[in-house]
Order: sequence, then structure tokens, then C-alpha cells
Amino acid sequence: MLDNLRQDFFNKTTQLLIVNRGLNVVDSDQNLFSISKNSDITEFHPFFYSLMNVFEETKKEHTFFCVQVEVLGKLYFLDIKTILRDDDTLVVILNDLTDHYKTVHQIKQVRNESIIGFNITQELNQELEIQRSFKNKFLANVSHEIRTPLNSIVGFLSVLENTDITREQLDILNIVKDSSKNLVTILDDLMDISKIEAGKLEIKKRRFDFKEFIEVLGKTYQLRADEKRLSFEFEMGSKIPRFLVGDHLRINQILVNLLENALKYTHQGNIKFCVKTDSQNARRIPVTFEVTDTGIGIPKEKIDSIFDSFTQLEKRGLFGGSGLGLSIVKQLTHLLESDLEVSSVEGKGSTFSFTVYMGVSHNQKREKKEKTKKTKNKKATGKKPRILLGEDVEVNQLLMLRLFVDHGAYSIDIAKDGERVLEFLDRNTYDLVILDLTMPIMDGLDTAVQIRSHSNSKISKLPIIALTARTAQEEQDAAKEAGMNAYLTKPIDAELLFETIERLLTRYKRKSKEVLSLEGEEE
Amino acid sequence: MSVSKKIVLLGHFGVGKSSLLRRFVENNFSDNYVVTIGVHIMKKEVTINSDKVTLIIWDVEGTDDFTKYRPSYLMGASSFIYVFDASRAVTYGDLKYNLSHLKDKYPQVPVHIIGNKVDLVDKDEIMAALKAQDVQHSYLSSAKTGENVEQLFNDVAAQLLENA
Repeated sequence: MLDNLRQDFFNKTTQLLIVNRGLNVVDSDQNLFSISKNSDITEFHPFFYSLMNVFEETKKEHTFFCVQVEVLGKLYFLDIKTILRDDDTLVVILNDLTDHYKTVHQIKQVRNESIIGFNITQELNQELEIQRSFKNKFLANVSHEIRTPLNSIVGFLSVLENTDITREQLDILNIVKDSSKNLVTILDDLMDISKIEAGKLEIKKRRFDFKEFIEVLGKTYQLRADEKRLSFEFEMGSKIPRFLVGDHLRINQILVNLLENALKYTHQGNIKFCVKTDSQNARRIPVTFEVTDTGIGIPKEKIDSIFDSFTQLEKRGLFGGSGLGLSIVKQLTHLLESDLEVSSVEGKGSTFSFTVYMGVSHNQKREKKEKTKKTKNKKATGKKPRILLGEDVEVNQLLMLRLFVDHGAYSIDIAKDGERVLEFLDRNTYDLVILDLTMPIMDGLDTAVQIRSHSNSKISKLPIIALTARTAQEEQDAAKEAGMNAYLTKPIDAELLFETIERLLTRYKRKSKEVLSLEGEEE
Repeated sequence: MSVSKKIVLLGHFGVGKSSLLRRFVENNFSDNYVVTIGVHIMKKEVTINSDKVTLIIWDVEGTDDFTKYRPSYLMGASSFIYVFDASRAVTYGDLKYNLSHLKDKYPQVPVHIIGNKVDLVDKDEIMAALKAQDVQHSYLSSAKTGENVEQLFNDVAAQLLENA
């Protein structure tokens, strides 16, 4: 009975052969394959060339697992065992495990494909990351290189504006000024896009006078619309609180982009700027911003693509400028946990709207008190504060000198590198230090660190402003870490510069015994 | 003179060992990836300067850890061809480690290092990556286009005849 069963099951999956040193078949039971006696076993399959090596081995038994053998078009998976006999022949046992190995094959096929797919995705991501990092670095460098000469162009234009020039010259100067400002905006947009894509743009929430901010924006664009002979409707909901908590810089950036677009593409009719909220008595309220125009509108099929980063550059005919504005708007609204909605009819106009949840400040009056105090301090100041500037580029030194002379409220000394800044500080008494970050011998960051660790507390506690063409967040973080109190970028905005100086001097006097922290940290 | 020599193709899975073999022996190529399990063996006779050598080429199942190769598969090998996928860094990131294992266990067996799928990559980048590892490759090949496949096996055969 068992012999019969053995015959039925094992004989069908196993073949025994005897092979001599010449690799000729001495005997074969022909259970699986027909292999003739006295034939060269290597003619049956090239695997059997390896038997030559087996004869040379000292070990008498060997097993070769999962050997693929194709016979008459059929693929077999065999485990092959060899045993060297005393008569110098080999017993070769072929064990057919095709069904078992086919299952193994299926499992490994799925597993390997999955691992290879993962590897490829991982490497593509690494490649993208390298490219993105290269792009961001490139943009940062290009931005820096352009900002440096632009700084002197914009700065000296402001200086020129205050000289005795004719009406015609003033008109030309205004055109150059506008073009320079556009160039600065494009640079800012490029850096913002790059920061957003790198996930480095952070939302900074602070309490601010929301009503005043919106009113100023409304008035500004009222004037701009008037210049273009367009009607401008401005509406602010009655439920809007005066003080709100949010990122007013980013909200401003979004609104300016939307209002600029509305102005640019509306040739007749009107622009409507509307800010409203439905709730009032809550800690956070949804504030809806809406800009509507009667401009050229957007073709239906292009509405989705107008927000694409950089691809706008190819569509100047439709959107003009760098085309980055709407892409930034879209991404900034996402950062503000909102979504930009657009409805548009080609030839009739567009409406852009978004809703941002903003915190309601519990104290709606504090800001006013601070303002009064600040004005008082300013009035009480009689002596000209003395400022020390560290700046190596001659044209920038000249520009700053001119700006300070024109402004008249401060006296300024200029040192051409960080080491000289420290020497000047040891020799004279200053109220504030402005440092260019890129200087020879000792750069702005190292100089700031040296100042902060100075043994004389009157020097170590001086307010320091970074003034640089570098705009990357890393640079700003490094400046903060070095103990700098404010970070201004070139081209120099004279108004912002003097506002910052005044603010820091006021705070310095108020907290003269403490080291100031970088602006924004306190907010 | 006619001799037969065993060559073993080694490397991670999915690097194109079977495709190289099929291109060399049958001169065809398929884009479909079919996993090799165990070992698949093919032979081809090569003539070098009127001397003939029969290459018995063992296409062994891929693995990232060469210490896991079954000794029976590598037994009696006259040459190793270490294949990596030039488009997947993970397949050549551990070259040094695996080479050191081969050198340790099979000191007499020459190893030829082949970067396959070179049609998918920038050759300069691969060469720079290998240089960084201080690894000297034999060929950058493509089973898909046939680039350097014949040359590779002919070189191996010539070396085997030289050492025979």
C-alpha cells in the first residue's frame, strides 16, 4: 500500500541519476525527464557543468536550491542534491518543487516591485529637494546681487527728489522710481514664492489696529483709482473691531496684490473693496475680504491655472508683470488657513475673496495710549542721537550719509568694517548701531556678537539694526541670534529706516538697563 | 582550445542582471520586470582570437546583502560580475561592503563592476558617485540599448582565457 502511494506521489516529483567524472549519465530512473544513459549531462542543461566542481570539492554532499530548468518549453524549479560515492560517481537527485517556488515567486515579485517603487520615489524626492534647495539658494544670491545696486538707485532717487529739479525732471524721476519699486516687488515675490515652497514662511500673529490698516489701504487705492478715472467703492462692515490679532503683513500682501491686479486690468467702470464679518462677540471672528472689478476678466478655462507658481511667467499677455502675484496670494491664503475664491466672466470682471479667522483683542484701547506716550518721548528729545553705521560699500555709505543729512534728526558716523565699528564704539558714545551683514574683516553678525558681549554695558546694550541685501529667513534668524534688534533689507526704505531708529531709541531709553530683543519677538 | 567557465551575476534585485544575460545570449530585451528566484543558468560560446570559451552564466537571485548568497551558487565560479542599477543609488551605496565580502571569501575570483541602466542617468554623476566610494567600475552598460553588453562579456571571456 505505502509502496504504491510512494510510487504515486514521490516518483512523480523526484528523479535519480548517476553521473561519472566525465559528466556522462551512468543511470537514470527517468521519473521526471528523459535523460539517456551514456549521454553528456551538460547537453541536457548547462547547470550540470557545475558537477565538475562538485567532483573537485572535498565535501561529499551538496544541495543547489531552486535551480530553474526549462525542458520542452516548460519551466521547472528544482532542488538538486549531489552525493559523491566511493566509486567516484555522483548520485544526483532532482526534486521538482515547481508549485512551491511559483508561489514564492509571486510573493517576491510583489515585494520587490514595491521596494523598487519606494526606492525610486525616495530618490526622486531627494533629487527634487536638491533642485529646490539649489533654486532657493540661486534666488537668494540673485536677489542679493540685484538688491545691492538697486539700493543705491532707489536711495539716490529719494535724495534727488528733494533737490531743486524741474517739473519735467520730477515726472521722469517718478517713472524711474516706480520702475525700481516694481523691481523690488518682483524680487520680494520671488523670495516669498521660494520661502513658501521651502515651507520657511511663517505666519506671525500680532495685535494691530485693523480698522486703521484697512482704512489706509482703502484710501491709498481710492487715490490710485482716481488717477485712472475709475470709481472706487470701499466698504467696511460695522461689526469689525478696531484691534484684531493676525498676520497683518501677509494680509496686506494679499490685499495689495488683489487690488493692484484689479487696477491693472480694469480700464473702465469700478473697483469695490469690501471687508466684513458676521460675528462680533467671539474670541475669533471670520473676516471676509473681497475685491471686485469690472476689468477684462479671466477666461473660464484659465481660472485654475492663474495661480500656478512660475508658469504665469509664460502668460505675460494675459496677466503682465512677473505673474507671481496671484500664485503668492493663493499660497499665502493657504498659510492663513483660508482659501482664495475667484469668480470671473471674461470681458465683464472678476471677484476675488477669502475669509481669515482673526483673534479679537480683548483690549481695544491700549494702542492709543502707547501712541501718545511715543509722541511725548519724541517731543521731549532735544539732543541729536548719534548713530554708528558699519558699511563697507562706498556708494552705500554715501547714500546713508545723504539720507541722514536730509533727515536731520540724527548725526551719523561710518565705519567700513566690523573691527572699526568696535573701535569707534570704544572711542565715542553712540545711541544706536546699524550694521551691514556682509563686511570684510569682521561681518555684521560677528560684530553684533562682539557688541553684545562687550564689558561696557552702555555698549553691550545698544540697539542694533541689521541693514542688508540678504532676505532669507535663515539670515534673519542668525541676526536675531546674534542679538540684533531689527532687520531691514536693501533697497533702503528711508521712511522705514527712520521709523525703526525712532522706535528702537524710544524703547532703548525706556528699557535702558535691559538688552533689547529682536523686533517681533515681544509681540 | 575550448574551455567552459562559470560566471556568476551578482547584485541587488531589479538591477537588470537577467536582462543583461538575455541581451548577451538571446539579443533581446523586455521592459517587464520579472523577479529571478533561485538561479537561472544560460550558456554561450565566445571566440577570442580563435580560442573558444563556453561561458556558463549563473544569474543568481538578487540580494542587497552578499553574505546571504548560498555558497553552492558561487562554488567553482571563475569570475563575478557585480551589477548595480545606475538609476538607483541604493544599489551601489554598499558596493564597498559587498566587494569586501567577496574579496574575503573568494580571493582568487576577479570581480567586474557593471553599472546597468545607464540609458536612464547622467554618466558623469554616476562616475562621480563611484569615485567618491573609491570604486573602479568596469563598464557602464544598458541591457535596453545593448550598450557595452557584448564588450563586457567578451572582456570577461578574454580574461578567463588569459588565466586558463
